Amino acid sequence: MATYAKPLVRQQPHTEEHEDPREHLMHDPLPRGKMNEMVMESMHETNPIFWVITAVLAGIVVFALGYEWYVLIMQGQGTAGVTRPDYWGVFLVNTVFWIGISHAGTFISAILRVMKVESRRPFTRAAELMTTFGLIQAGLSIFMHLGRVWVVYFMVPFPNERRLWPDFHSPLMWDLMAITTYVLCSTMYLFLPLIPDVAMARDRSEGWRKVFYRILALGFRGTEGEWKNLVTAMNIFAFAIIPVMFSVHTIVSWDFAMATRPGWSSTVFGPYFVIGALHSGMAAVAIVLFLLRSTMKHYKYFIRPEHFGTIGMLMLLVSMAWAYFYFNDYIVPWYGGDKWDKLLQEYTETGPLAYLWFTMLIVNIVIPWATLWNKKWRETPWLLASVGLLINVGMYIERYLIIPVGVTITRMPFTWRQYYPRIEIPMTIGTFALFLLLYMLASRLIPLIPVWEVQEGQENHILRKVGKANIPSISELE
Amino acid sequence: MSDSTMLLAVFDDLEPATHAIDKLHEMGVEDHQMNVISGIPFPGRVLGRPSALTNVSRIAMFGALLGMSLGIFLIYGTPALYPLHVGGQPVFPVPMGLIITFEMTMLGLMGLAFIGVFVDSGFPSYTPMEYVPEISDGKIAILFSCPSADQMNFVDALTKVGAESVAPAEARQL
Amino acid sequence: MTTDLAMPVFTNNSEEELQGRWGMVVDQDLCTGCQACVAACSMENNVPFVEEEDAAYGRAMHWIRIERLWEKTEYPEVKMTPFQPTMCQQCHNAPCEPVCPVFASVHSASEDLNLQVYNRCIGTRYCGNNCPYQVRAFNWRDYTDARIRPHLTTLQNQLNPDVTVRRRGVMEKCTFCIQRIHKAEDKAKSEGREIEDGEFTTACAQACPANAITFGRIDDPNSAVSKAATGSRGRHLLEELGTLPRVTYLAGGA
Repeated sequence: MATYAKPLVRQQPHTEEHEDPREHLMHDPLPRGKMNEMVMESMHETNPIFWVITAVLAGIVVFALGYEWYVLIMQGQGTAGVTRPDYWGVFLVNTVFWIGISHAGTFISAILRVMKVESRRPFTRAAELMTTFGLIQAGLSIFMHLGRVWVVYFMVPFPNERRLWPDFHSPLMWDLMAITTYVLCSTMYLFLPLIPDVAMARDRSEGWRKVFYRILALGFRGTEGEWKNLVTAMNIFAFAIIPVMFSVHTIVSWDFAMATRPGWSSTVFGPYFVIGALHSGMAAVAIVLFLLRSTMKHYKYFIRPEHFGTIGMLMLLVSMAWAYFYFNDYIVPWYGGDKWDKLLQEYTETGPLAYLWFTMLIVNIVIPWATLWNKKWRETPWLLASVGLLINVGMYIERYLIIPVGVTITRMPFTWRQYYPRIEIPMTIGTFALFLLLYMLASRLIPLIPVWEVQEGQENHILRKVGKANIPSISELE
Repeated sequence: MSDSTMLLAVFDDLEPATHAIDKLHEMGVEDHQMNVISGIPFPGRVLGRPSALTNVSRIAMFGALLGMSLGIFLIYGTPALYPLHVGGQPVFPVPMGLIITFEMTMLGLMGLAFIGVFVDSGFPSYTPMEYVPEISDGKIAILFSCPSADQMNFVDALTKVGAESVAPAEARQL
Repeated sequence: MTTDLAMPVFTNNSEEELQGRWGMVVDQDLCTGCQACVAACSMENNVPFVEEEDAAYGRAMHWIRIERLWEKTEYPEVKMTPFQPTMCQQCHNAPCEPVCPVFASVHSASEDLNLQVYNRCIGTRYCGNNCPYQVRAFNWRDYTDARIRPHLTTLQNQLNPDVTVRRRGVMEKCTFCIQRIHKAEDKAKSEGREIEDGEFTTACAQACPANAITFGRIDDPNSAVSKAATGSRGRHLLEELGTLPRVTYLAGGA
C-alpha cells in the first residue's frame, strides 16, 4: 500500500509572522477618556511654525488668488491664456482636478462604510473634510473661468421678472445641479458624525471654544433617540451619496463628452473620469494622512501603517482600473477611422507637450504598479505619500492633456493654436494654498478623528480563540 | 408629578449597565420610563431594551418625493413656461429629465434626512438638560423615573449592580 | 383694457412665425482673398479691434475670416486650396445652441438663424468650444471701452448705431447682418409687400468686389441664392457632422 502523501520536508517553524493584534487600532483600545484627551490636546497645542505656515498660506491666498482674481474680473479673460480655439484652459483643469480630489472623501466615508471596511474608522472625517474643501476650490475655479461672473446667477433657476429659466439641455446646468447636490450632501454628511465629537469637545472646553462647540453640538447628549436618528440618517447618507458621487464626476465628464471636439466626444468619458477622480483622490488622502500623522500630536496612535496599507491597496486597484479605461480611450483613435481624433492623439504623443504625456503614464501606471504591490512598502507612510503626490501630478497632467491640449486640434486646421497659461498659474497656486489653509484652520477648530466611531469599532472587535490561535473577529453591532 | 423623581445612574462599562437595566425592569420601571445616554450608539438588543423609534426614514422618503417634484418641474415645467428652441433638440428632453430628476431626488432625500435628524431629536436645544460630561468620556448613563418614596431602594440596588454613581438628575446647561 | 395686477405672469407666448429662411452661397472659385468682406463686416457690426499682442495670440475677433491652407513647398511651386471665407454657418442643428446654460445661444423661429443674445451671455464659452467651424469670437477684454483705450475716442464715431457694442465677457459671431434683415422686413411690412430678392444684402456680400458671396432667402426657389446653391459645385463644410449649415460653398469649377 503505497502512500502518496509526502512528508513535509521543509517545515518552517511557526514564527510570529502574524503580527501582534495590538498593532491594529481596533485591537488596541484605550479608554475613551484618554482618546478624547489625545484628540483635544492635538487640537489645542500648536507650535509657532504652524502659525508661520498659516500666515504664508494666507498671504498667498490674498495675493495670488484674491488680487489676481480681481485683475481677472476687471480686465477680462484676456489676462488668462485662453484664446480661439483654446476657449477652456487651466481653470477647467482645476475644476475637474478638485472635484476629483473631493471624491475620495465620499469614497472613504460612504463606500467603505457600506462595505463595512473597519479600518476606515479613524480617517473618515479627514477625508470628508478634503471633500468639502476640495469642492470649494472647484467652485471657485469654475467661477474664475466665467467671462461675466457677476451674472452667474442667470444659471440659477428661480422665477424672475424676465420670465427666463436656464437651459437644462446644457451639461453645465447638469453640473450645477449635481455639484450643488454633492456639496450640500457632503457637508451634511460631514456634519452628522461630527455632532457627537463636537459634544465631546464641548464637555472638555472652556471659554470661546466652549461657546463655539456648544452652539455646534446643538444640545446633543447621546440619548437612544438621538443616536438612532443620527445613525439612521448616516446610513441613508452613506447609501445615497454613492450614486451621487458617481453621477457628479460623470456629469463633469459630460461637459467634454457632449462636445463635438475631436478627442472629447468619447463615450468612455463617464467611467473614465470617475475612476480618474478616485485615482487622484485616494492619492491625495494618502498625502493628507501622512501630513496629519507627522504633524498632529498623538495621531500616531490613531493613524497607523495598516490604514496606509488599506489606502495603498485601493490606490493600486484604482490605478489598474484607470489604466484599463485609459487604454480604452487610447486604442480607439489609434486604430484610425476619424482623422481628427488620430491627429490629436499624434499631437499629444509627439507634439511639443509630449513629455507631459510620457510623465503621466510613468507616474500614473508604472510607479504605482512597481511600488504598491509590496505590503511593507504600502504600509510605509512617507513612501505612500510620495507615490500619492506623483499620482496627483500625473492626474493633473491627464486633465491638462484632455482640456487645453485637447482643444488645440480642431476640424478647421486654420485655427489650431497652442495654449499658454498666464494668470491661471498664480491663481492655481492660490487654490492649493486656500485648500491647505482651510484644512489647517479646521484642524484647530474641530476634532479630525471621529473618536466615537473609533471606540465603536474597538467595542466591535474582539480576539476569539479558534483552535490554538487568537483570531481577530468583528461583530456587527448595528 | 412630584410623586416621581428622575435619577441618573452612571456606569463604567456595558455589562453592569445591562444588569442594571434588568434590575430596573424587575423593580417595575417600564421601558418608556428609562433612557440610556451613552458615548457610542448601542442598539436596543445589546442593552436588552426595545429599539428606539425614528422618523428620519419617513421624513427622508418625503424629501425624496419633494426633490423628484422639483426635478420634474425644472426639466419639464420650465420649458413649458418659456419654450426656446436649441440645436434641433426636443424642448422636453428625456435624458436630461433622468439626470436632473435623479439629482434633485437625491438632494431631497438627503436634505430632509438631515433636517429630519434635527426635527426628530429636537435640535438645536440649548436649554438645560439632564446630562453629565463623563458620558462623552465613554460612561453609560441610565436616566429613569422612579417613585420618590422608593428612591433609596433604587440607589442601593443599582450601586450593588455596579453603578459609579446614582443621583437625582439635575438639568444643567450643557 | 384692464390689467390684472395681482397675479404674476410666468408664461411666454411670444414664439414667432417663420418669416423667411436666410442663406448664403460663397463661390470659392471667384474669391480672391482680398479680405474686403472682413473689413466690411467689422465696420458694419462694430467688431472690436484687438491689439497687436492679442491678435498674435489668435484673439482677433473677425466674424468672417479667409482661410488659406497650403502645402509646404518651395517657391515658385505654390500649392494652395481655394480661399475659404468662413463665417457662422447658421446651422439648423447648431451644436453651439444646446450647450449654453443660460439660453444665450438660441435658434430664431422667424429667420431660422442662430441668435446670440449678448446681455444673457455669462461667458462660459462652451458654445465657442462646441462650434465645429470655430467661428465664434469672444470679448477677451473691454476692447471697445474708450475710457481704458483712449485711442478709441474718435474711432467711436464710426460705430454702427443699429448694432450693440459688446463689452468684455460675452461671445459674439456673425448674425447674417440681422439688423439689415430686420430693417428690410420692417420696411416691406410697412409697405405691405414681401421683401424682393436683392433689396438688401449682408455687409460681406455687399463689399465683395468679385461678387463671390450671394445672400438671400433660400426658401424662395427663385432667389439668386437658391439658384446658386443647387448646383453640382455646391458643398457644405464638415457635412458629416450633420449640423445642416445654411452656407453653401461652390468650388471645383475653375
